[in-house]
This record gives sequence, C-alpha cells and structure tokens, in this order.
Amino acid sequence: MHRFARVAAPLLLAIAISNICVSQSTVNPEISVIPRFLVETNDGQKLDQGKREFSQPDFQFQELELAIQSYLNPFSRADVILTIPGPDIEANKLGIEELYATVFRGLPLDLNLRFGKYRVDYGKLNMVHPHAWPFVTQPLSQARFLGEDGLNDLGISASILLPTGDVYSKLTVDVLRGNAIPHAAGIADTTGANPFYANSARLMGFFTLTDESDLELGLSALTGIHDPYNRDRFWYLNGDFKYKYRPSMYTSLVLQGEYLYNTRSAAQNQAFMPFLDAAGNPQTRTINSSGIYVYADYQFFKLFSIGGRYDWSEAPYSKDDRAAGVSVFAGYYPVEETLGLRLEYQHLKTDTPASSTSVNTILLQVLFSLGPHKAHPF
Amino acid sequence: MKHVLLVLLMSVALVASASATIRVVTSLPDLADFARQIGGDKVKVDFIVRGDQDPHFVEVKPSYMMKLKSADIFFTVGMELELWASQLVDGSRNANLNVVDLSRGIQKLEVPGVVNASLGDVHRFGNPHYWLDPRNVRVIVNEMIEAYAKVSPGDEAFFRSNADAYLKKLDGKIAQWEQVMKPFAGSKIITFHKSWSYFANWLGLQIVAQVEPLPGIAPTPSHTTELIQLCRQGSIKAIIVEPFYDMSAPEQIARSTNAKVLQLPTSVGGVDEAKDYISLLDYDTNTLAAVLK
Repeated sequence: MHRFARVAAPLLLAIAISNICVSQSTVNPEISVIPRFLVETNDGQKLDQGKREFSQPDFQFQELELAIQSYLNPFSRADVILTIPGPDIEANKLGIEELYATVFRGLPLDLNLRFGKYRVDYGKLNMVHPHAWPFVTQPLSQARFLGEDGLNDLGISASILLPTGDVYSKLTVDVLRGNAIPHAAGIADTTGANPFYANSARLMGFFTLTDESDLELGLSALTGIHDPYNRDRFWYLNGDFKYKYRPSMYTSLVLQGEYLYNTRSAAQNQAFMPFLDAAGNPQTRTINSSGIYVYADYQFFKLFSIGGRYDWSEAPYSKDDRAAGVSVFAGYYPVEETLGLRLEYQHLKTDTPASSTSVNTILLQVLFSLGPHKAHPF
Repeated sequence: MKHVLLVLLMSVALVASASATIRVVTSLPDLADFARQIGGDKVKVDFIVRGDQDPHFVEVKPSYMMKLKSADIFFTVGMELELWASQLVDGSRNANLNVVDLSRGIQKLEVPGVVNASLGDVHRFGNPHYWLDPRNVRVIVNEMIEAYAKVSPGDEAFFRSNADAYLKKLDGKIAQWEQVMKPFAGSKIITFHKSWSYFANWLGLQIVAQVEPLPGIAPTPSHTTELIQLCRQGSIKAIIVEPFYDMSAPEQIARSTNAKVLQLPTSVGGVDEAKDYISLLDYDTNTLAAVLK
C-alpha cells in the first residue's frame, strides 16, 4: 500500500499540476503591452526672443498601454486598458484608461450593452487607440473639443443594429458620468448637486462600394452640462466618414475626416472671466464654434505608408481662438504590427485676439506591440 | 374543432421546417464549395475571404458581420487560421450561430512544441492549410453533414447521399491527380509560405525551403541570397507563390537560377480557372506538373 502511495502520489500530483496549467492557460486573458516613444523637435521655443530655430531633439516617453482582454462567459467579454502616460516615465503611475464589460450576445433585440469606463462611440477616431493612428499628433479638433484623452468616461452604452437589409447600420446611445469634457472638468463642481449626466449617440452606416472599397458614414451628438454653477449646456454635433480602397494585400488608400460643431451657452470664458453686457452686468452668451480634420493614408507596400492631414479648429469657448495645421507623415512597419516607426512633420498656426504664432514640429514615434492585441475593426 | 386547429398548426410547422433553407457562411470559398455540394438546394451558402485574398489577414468589416447575422452555421478551417473570426462572430450578435471548426478530425501536420513570436507567425495547433490535401475533404464533409443534421435532422439522408456522390467523384479525381503527379514524387520545390505542406505530403513532393525566412515574415535580402545558393546547388525547378504575395523576391531567385516561379492559388477563385475545388486542384496539379517535367 505504502509502495503504491509512493509511486502514485507524485503521479497524481503531476496530473493535478498539469490540469491546473491547462485550465490556467485556457482561462488566462490575453495580455498585450504597447509602449510609444517619441523624439521631438520644434522651432517655436524661442519665438518670444525673436528667434526661430529648431530645439535639440527631445527624447520622450509618450505612453504605455497595457491591455488585458478576454471573454468573461459565452455572452460577454471584458477589456481592461491600463496606461502610464508620458512624458515622465519615472514619475507617472499606472492609471485606468478603459475598464469595461460588453454583453454582446443573449440580450433582446440583439442589443449590445457596455458598461464601465471606456472610449465612447462618438465620431470615427475616438474609439481608436493612438497606437493605431497612422499619424503621431492628435487632430486639433479632437484635442480642443474632446481633450487629449478623447471622449472617455464612465457610463453605460447600448447599441442596436437597425433593420436596413444587407447594409450594416448601428445606433449607439450612451449615458455618461459627464465630466470627460476637459473644459467642463476645468470648473470644479462644489455645488453638491446631483451629477449632471452627459448623453451621447452615434448613428453609422457601412456601405460596400466594390470588392475593394468600402465607405462608412457616421453622425454623432453629445450633450451635457459644462458649467455646473450656471447649469450651462453644450451640444457637440459631429459628422464623420471613412473610405478605404484596398486593391491588393500590400496596397491601400484611406480617406477619413470629421467635422465637429459646438454650440453652448456660457456665462464665462475659458479663463473663467464672466461675460458682461454693455452696462457691466453678467450675461450668458451662446458660443458657436467648430473644427475639422481630413487625412489620407496610402500604404504602397507591405512595410510602408505615407499620408497627409489638414486640421482647422476653433476653441470650445471662442471663435476667435483658432488653429490650423498641415501634417505629412510616413510609417514603416518592418514586421507587421509588432514594430512601427512613424515620422511626422507638422506646421501649426495659432491665432488668438492677442497673438499669432506658427510652429514647425518634427516628430519620430517608435512603438512596439507585445502580445495578441487585435486589430481595430474597419 | 380544437383538434382540427392543432393538426393544421402542426402541419404548417412541419411544412415550414421541411422547406427551411439552412443559411451557411464559410470562411473560405473552398469550404463554401463543399457546403453547396453537400447541402444542395437545402442550403444557401456565402463566404468571407475571396480566393485571391490572404486568409490570415482579413479586415474586420461590418459587412462580414452582416453575413453572419442571419446565418445558421459558420464553417471555419480552425487551427487559428482565421484569427479575425471571433471579432466577426461577436459583432454579428447572432446568438443562434453555430460555429463549426472543421479541423477536429484532421491529422495535423507541423504541430509545434514551442510557440513564441521569435519563430514568426507559427500556428500553435499546427499547419492549418489542410484542405489542400483532397483526402482531408472526407473529414471536412463528415463534419458538415453532422452540422447540417443538427439544424435539419430530417434531411440527413439527403446530405449523406449528396456527400457520397461528391466523394465518389472526388476519389476519381484524386486518382487522376496522383497519376499526373506520380512522375514527380520526390521533386524539390520552394514555397513562399507554408501553405503547401499538406499538398506536398499527399503527392510526395519535397519542400526544401520557404521564401519567407519565418512564417509571416517578409523576405529578407540575406535569406533570398541563401535560397539562390540552395537553388543552384539542388535541382529545384519550382517556386510556388500564392496570388496575393509579393513576387519580387521569388522572381529575384528565379532570375539567378533555373527555378520557375508559379503563381498557384490555394483557394477557389484564386485564379479564373479555379471555379470550384476540383478545378482548383486540376489547375494546381497540371500547372506544377508542366513545370516539373
């Protein structure tokens, strides 16, 4: 009996360990690490001294993205995207960029439900992580109206496919915590009132034009309270398009653009200075402003792509604060999506009532992708 | 009266189920051909990847999700050839979709012991290009019959009868293809990607190298030079390239040696002549035999 136990025990232990290993490998989520680094130089740092010269190229850590993703059960999956933002690689701490669960199967009307903190389905670029952009810099209109991190908030999202035959069309509606818009967050809410939710919606249609080309069109709207004291509301209306022509595995052309229109009532400007009427009394004004970007990205061989982008944007609180930019960029991906180099030159002109400046910037971005992070859909 | 109503309702339900068409989507057009052969007029078949596209890399398009949205069955090659498939299935929101991995009964080749990215795009469950050995079609067809019978049990005999007829026809073609390729057993060839392992294993061909230095990795100058040396040393007559790969490196090798570059499709529709699976293998075997002569 003892002899049997001596032989059997290690065997049973080995079987138990192997079972644990097998079950772990089947339940472990997919883990990916995607860091981005940047070398940047621009000729705008000594403009106040009357000098226009390029600065010494600056090595920067842009961001690290740690993606942990998997199915929770046959009906839902979870996505956790943790980030360490740049530029200070030593000082910054790991934060939550996205943390959400999606129920994609089993709900009535084939409803798709998402809850947690996530990049909102608003416009075309907002849901695409920066590592998947073909350029280095964020489009001006996105940065000015949605903020550096895009429209990313706590909330609940529901989407439904519309009965439009063979055409894929989707309506997404979100209820959001409401403080993702940077200018709203800039006004600290100490009113103690109930939270002012924001609401977002997007209607999109996907059209197959030929075997090689597709077109996506979208309309989005976002509304919320940007000033909790005066309960002033803003509306963002957005139209977007993406056209892709892929005649072969190694060649593709992407044309994409978005136009964002902002309208808001405001009692103060971006510097928190109250608007006054002619008699010096506080006044609420309606501010209308907008922004646009359009880009083209041409992949001419498996490893290379080139492109250009035009930006123009006013500010959320002022039509007189304007910026326009032209960028040209090139991408080199020596081994699929595991390693990428992007070079961008941007000429940026900023006009405010007080000043007008133009700056030229050259950026080299290096990134790698460790792990199975999947490609973003069309 | 109640009984009459009940009988009427049951009759309508029976007629409806008997005449219902099984909606099938396959990842590859080759599988679509098998699905049609077996299902006959009781199935409606569509597919995702065209024959002139690389099945490894497929853009996750909403239009593909629409195909799956109304489907009953989605047949896949499996073995992680279609890494994009799960995004399409989830995006389809079709809770009733039956996803069938056809590789279950396949005798798998090149199953790696260790898998990591330093080895290139290695498939951890083995080489998934098994449909290029026509002897594997019997396994594929049996899986399809099982899946069809689950959706429409009353038609199982019909599916089996279609399958028997098709496999009989295929057996005749297999004998013919083997006859055509018999004189070239043991011939050395180079392929661009490891898509031809099952095909070579079936016909006794010897694949001595790939144009890709590692699976999925673009040709490098040093590896191309090595292949030129290899071709000069050995009697390699053919370099097989799928229609969707870049021809520059294979053509560079061919220019410096006696080897010929052959664009051979791995799937139906890869060239105009490959209208179905049988004409695909007709084209591949005849074209290769002509070069190996």
